Amino acid sequence: MLANHLSSAKLPGPDDILRKEFDNGSVLLTRTNPSSPAVAIRGMFPPGALADPPEKVGLAHFMASMLMSGTRTHAFRELNDLVESMGATLVFGGGKVATSFAGQCLREDLPQLLEILLEVLTQPAFPEKQFQRTKMQILTAQAIQAQDTAEVAEQAFDRAIYGSHPYAHPDLGYPDTVQSISREDLQEFHQRFVGPRGMIVAITGGAESEQILQVFARTLGAWEAPSQETQPPIPPVQPVQATYREHVPLEEKSQSDLVIGTFGPKATASDYLACTLGNDILGQFGMMGRIGESVREKAGLAYYASSSLDMGIGPVTWQVTAGVNPENLDQAIALILQELERFTHELVTEEELADVRSELIGRLPLSMESNAGVAQALLNLERFGYGLNYLRELPEKLADITREDILHAAQRYWLLDQLVITSAGKPIS
Amino acid sequence: MNDSLIIHQLGNGLTVLLKEIHTAPIVSSWVWYGVGSRNEVPGKTGVSHWVEHMQFKGTQKRTAQDMDHTIARLGGYWNAFTSPDWTAYFETLPASALETALDLEADRMTNSLFDPLEVETERTVIISEREGSENDPQFLLREAVQAHAFKHHPYRNEVIGSKEDLLSLTREDLYAHYRQAYQPANAILCLAGDFEASEAMRLVEKHFGCIPAGKVIKNIPEPEDDLPNHNQIELQGPGEATFIQVAYRSPKADSDDFFAFSLMESLLTGPSNLNMFGSGGVGHHTSRLYLAMVDEGLAAGVGGSLSANIDPSTFTLYLTKNPTRTIEEVLHTLDSQIEALQSQPINQTEIDRALKQTKALFAYSSDNITNQAFWMGYASSFAQYDWFTHYVDRISSVTPEMIQSIAQKYLQPNARVIGIYYPNDKS
Repeated sequence: MLANHLSSAKLPGPDDILRKEFDNGSVLLTRTNPSSPAVAIRGMFPPGALADPPEKVGLAHFMASMLMSGTRTHAFRELNDLVESMGATLVFGGGKVATSFAGQCLREDLPQLLEILLEVLTQPAFPEKQFQRTKMQILTAQAIQAQDTAEVAEQAFDRAIYGSHPYAHPDLGYPDTVQSISREDLQEFHQRFVGPRGMIVAITGGAESEQILQVFARTLGAWEAPSQETQPPIPPVQPVQATYREHVPLEEKSQSDLVIGTFGPKATASDYLACTLGNDILGQFGMMGRIGESVREKAGLAYYASSSLDMGIGPVTWQVTAGVNPENLDQAIALILQELERFTHELVTEEELADVRSELIGRLPLSMESNAGVAQALLNLERFGYGLNYLRELPEKLADITREDILHAAQRYWLLDQLVITSAGKPIS
Repeated sequence: MNDSLIIHQLGNGLTVLLKEIHTAPIVSSWVWYGVGSRNEVPGKTGVSHWVEHMQFKGTQKRTAQDMDHTIARLGGYWNAFTSPDWTAYFETLPASALETALDLEADRMTNSLFDPLEVETERTVIISEREGSENDPQFLLREAVQAHAFKHHPYRNEVIGSKEDLLSLTREDLYAHYRQAYQPANAILCLAGDFEASEAMRLVEKHFGCIPAGKVIKNIPEPEDDLPNHNQIELQGPGEATFIQVAYRSPKADSDDFFAFSLMESLLTGPSNLNMFGSGGVGHHTSRLYLAMVDEGLAAGVGGSLSANIDPSTFTLYLTKNPTRTIEEVLHTLDSQIEALQSQPINQTEIDRALKQTKALFAYSSDNITNQAFWMGYASSFAQYDWFTHYVDRISSVTPEMIQSIAQKYLQPNARVIGIYYPNDKS
């Protein structure tokens, strides 16, 4: 197809990715871009919100939010001065199954940034002053989220679809659970779960892979945490029994946000790529696919209306979302359900399949235009066990997927009498 | 390989900037029109942004879907932005598809349809876009603050336009704006990426050279140097968080003051990250206001926004108040910090850190071809491209005394607009 004039050999592959497993259980992936003066880092390590005690939901996120608040060696200001004086960044974020981090620096500063990363992970001090400040920031963020129609609709969706599963909770936790978290909780949580086992780090950019390997080997690669506990496994989810509808009223909002969804495939599932192509047709391709064409382009009901498929190892969701005027909410739902009906009952056209296949193949090199894009791609290769040749093999894998594969995948996941439909905005009768 | 910038002007007045970059098989093509909400007149706010939407709705040669699917099939991405000063369209594509981008942009420079039915459909889409923004208290507060920061200048209006104007604008208003402003002499075409400049220039001539030179008609407003007298605006609405915005006048981008102002912003709130396409920024936890406001527990967040504009604009500080502290405490601390900046010697170490951050941001921007093409046009929209290439040098020549002088000149307590959003249950 059109996009195949881009040689797949220019994509990251086994001949230019350096992958190293360390004895402590961490894995490093690097790829050099000699023309870049900078380096990007992407990484993740357990634990995530999965390890939150039920009465302290939000603990993993709280810990991630405090990692740059000071160490036993450097107070908050000194620590951040070290990073910012290099013009670098190092930020942490809490997720469902892991804590993630992202960094960037000039290539000559990489050794120092990795030293800081190690210090932050091994010696966090959780200082009292910054602990109180961070708690206030999280509570404020929760208050802001509580007025965000998209966020409220999404949280209602998670509650409904996940039920008693830990994924039902927002990563930030709830005001009462965050209020109950103490410094000692953070220290204990860190001590129990944070360690090198399960850590994945991808570093790309202007530094030579061998040099990165050496620095990593004497910093994160040499980190020992023998008492590191394994976080609880991901529990199974219960299927949705019947279509569920909930509207969360929020006064004085001009727009309502809508989520319609179901469970989707794991990134490691055999039908994941068929779902990816199907999702592209449903609500991504061009101006938001069939959903965008119906809800935005033809009916003019929404500024955004699209579909998205989570990429994860846990029970993920497949959603259609839209932001609409409250008066048009029912009409938007009806149009989206029409498209889902078509998606699950008719084969996509040959042209649609060719289009999205071409788009996904063509986008591969563009998505790796920056160091950060390459680092994220390497992280995903490792995280989902795809193997180093995955990106180069992807065009062939996509070519093998048929219209029937997509229809079967759509029918497997989109059970139209077992949907979760949530919205938030102006009260409705 | 030719990594220097080539500047050329076609006979019809179109300015062309080319930069070969051979690090990836990608090309990024941008067309910048010198028109935005700055050029709008009362009653027609939002017309520039709406025209931008209509530029995706089809031409005499291709339907909206043809345009969209052509780019998508290539795996490319495209989008457009309307700002106060400019309207820009871009495509980033596999390098071999450069001509596709040029053909499309030349086509919609002159041949867009503005189908009346499409205009009506888009009216509700844009109103929906505005309603989505209205859900955010910070948008409502910014709109109110900007309206008070200028008496007449169109920078007082949100780019998306007022709802009243969005309901009354007609197809004729949109088409007139299109024909008057979308002329070669009012446009800059920027190409960066994996091409040979001579071949790229041949393609540019082929697609754009035949467009006749037309007359550019646009309203040029009088700059407003001074802020109206001391102003405080209060809004009230749903929620639990109190937001504060404080707007000061900022110098136009093409002025000596702008560079010292930019460094002053770095000291106060960290450097603005103008890299649009994922090249990242730098932290701001050592900035003066973060340490004084957030680390001391007065605010949950603080940020600053300085943008490079043609005319004097606003530098706005954004604060989210800690619920347990008072507005007065926050504003008092802000004033103390600004007074210290104006009156106390500035440590060279602090300036060195800000300089390093600026240099790092520029290095980060270079790992992304789309960003590089963006900067070529962005800088040219309010100055010349050398504004960008000399930026680091000019920032490096700023002295502590210059920063102090800029703080004294612009950050005056009686020349600012304070906006406060109170949650409904503020009692």
